[in-house]
Amino acid sequence: MNRRLAWAVGLGLVAVTAGWAFDDAKGPDPEVGKSYRVPYRTTETNHFLVRVRVDGQGPFNFLVDTGAPSLYIGLEAARKIGLKPDPDEYFTPIGRVEFEGGASLTGMKARVEDVFQMVGMNALGLPGASIDGILGFSALARFKIQIDPTRDRMTWTRLDFEPKDPVVPRAVMKKQSGEMNAMNALGPLAKLAAAFVGKQPEEQLHPQGFLGVELVEEAGGLKVSGVMADSPASGSGVKPGDRLVKVGGKPVDTLKAAALAVAEVRPGDKVALALVRDGQPIDVSLAAGEGF
Amino acid sequence: MTKIQRFATSAFVLALLPTLALVAQEPPPQSQPAPKAGPVTLPFELVASNHMVVEAKINGQGPFRLIFDSGAPVSLLGNQAAEESGAVDKKAPRSFLMGMRGEGTLKSLEVGDLVAKDLPVIVLDHPTIKAIAAFLNKRIDGIVGYTFFARYRTTIDYQARLMTLEPVDFAVRDLMKDLPNRLAGPKIAKRRVLAPGGLWGLTLGDPVDSGKGVAIRTVRPGSPAELAGLKPGDVLTALDGRWTSNATDAYLAAAATEPAAGQAIEAVVWREGQSVTIAVRPVGGI
Repeated sequence: MNRRLAWAVGLGLVAVTAGWAFDDAKGPDPEVGKSYRVPYRTTETNHFLVRVRVDGQGPFNFLVDTGAPSLYIGLEAARKIGLKPDPDEYFTPIGRVEFEGGASLTGMKARVEDVFQMVGMNALGLPGASIDGILGFSALARFKIQIDPTRDRMTWTRLDFEPKDPVVPRAVMKKQSGEMNAMNALGPLAKLAAAFVGKQPEEQLHPQGFLGVELVEEAGGLKVSGVMADSPASGSGVKPGDRLVKVGGKPVDTLKAAALAVAEVRPGDKVALALVRDGQPIDVSLAAGEGF
Repeated sequence: MTKIQRFATSAFVLALLPTLALVAQEPPPQSQPAPKAGPVTLPFELVASNHMVVEAKINGQGPFRLIFDSGAPVSLLGNQAAEESGAVDKKAPRSFLMGMRGEGTLKSLEVGDLVAKDLPVIVLDHPTIKAIAAFLNKRIDGIVGYTFFARYRTTIDYQARLMTLEPVDFAVRDLMKDLPNRLAGPKIAKRRVLAPGGLWGLTLGDPVDSGKGVAIRTVRPGSPAELAGLKPGDVLTALDGRWTSNATDAYLAAAATEPAAGQAIEAVVWREGQSVTIAVRPVGGI
């Protein structure tokens, strides 16, 4: 039987059986009921991104997308993972999927494909981070997933639920509509467009410079509680018990204010500290170092 | 940008965003009060294409069948449903592209006990929805996306086929004002300085084993890191539950911690072939 026809027959069946089966043969999965706090970021395009390792490779950025039927891995990520899709099979088996925060899944299958939306957005640099794949139903349904936009982590709780691999290859949907085929041309089109309008650069992350001045808040301001050994502050003249009144010329009286005053300090930058010791002002300048 | 440029940009960007669409929309009304109501639990239908479908009333009309899609950055409504619910004027002109009618606002979207007010939508017949509806041989009227979900703490339980929504106070970003401007604007990278939430007393080296972790280069004597037992040569693999595949990752993870002094934060290191979890209490300072 023609493979595509087999899919179509399978579809009818799944519509009746609702598309999943429980595997009663296995013992209870120790993962069931476990909750994980999964860090995520919201992209510039209002998508939820989580980080994923596949077969030990990565981390990769994957979209959390309840609108996608299965797990999609882009070609570049698939190459890094070492996946070799069988051209006769719609899905490629993968060994282990780990999610940042501690959750993991085994025995998954993924569709290796450069989904046009992914290609297009990446080409234009719209999301602000590269998107390497999409977590759809077949991965997400194994967890109870809580997303709170006011927090920086989702909560994923493993369910005793094994959704079967989806039975909706895009080929089935694609051949129904010329419009859908046109949509698939948008990925390459976006690449072309990017050649003219340019790609949005990814956000640049810079580590803050490190001084090594330990501080506590006291009535009326900040006190130096310690000077970290082998740090820029050690040997600079800063001493425990000093009061810190200014950083880089800015008055500081709370830990928060001190953190703000050094917010733009990079390793190597000179930072002026105004201290008071025994009622006498002392000015110290030190070069910020690396680390935290 | 002119209206036409904005439309053209939007139309192009529209089709790119997974899973569905995106087009210009007006900023969501800022007056939208966050109703401090309790959680509402809704059943959903899991259709054969593995989408969550919920029946909802729009502007008191319906029910309409909507796909709830966390991967859609915006919400959209097909032309038929938009006309039936009065979300769009029947005489409003259709564009050549997907019968696009532009932007609209749903006065109310009602699902069970939950009522979302003033929800921005885009009115168009998206090919993906048409394809899904044809495949299911069932009516699908639209997509509910991020502009809806960002108003709630959402819990999705596929096994029980229940969705729980609890209102939160969160300003939804106006994506479409943003996006065309960014596309047309100068290509300047956003800059962010990563400020750790406390002093640890570490310096970091290179990624180890193609990103499984990052080497700890030095541990400052007497520092919180040393007191906790971290050692130079340890490979830091996670900090506070976040992967540290390189130094920037480690800074990001440290920056995401609360600066509350004295609170223990878990660091996971790879040492002599074993994964070791160590609780570190960073101190306040700069």
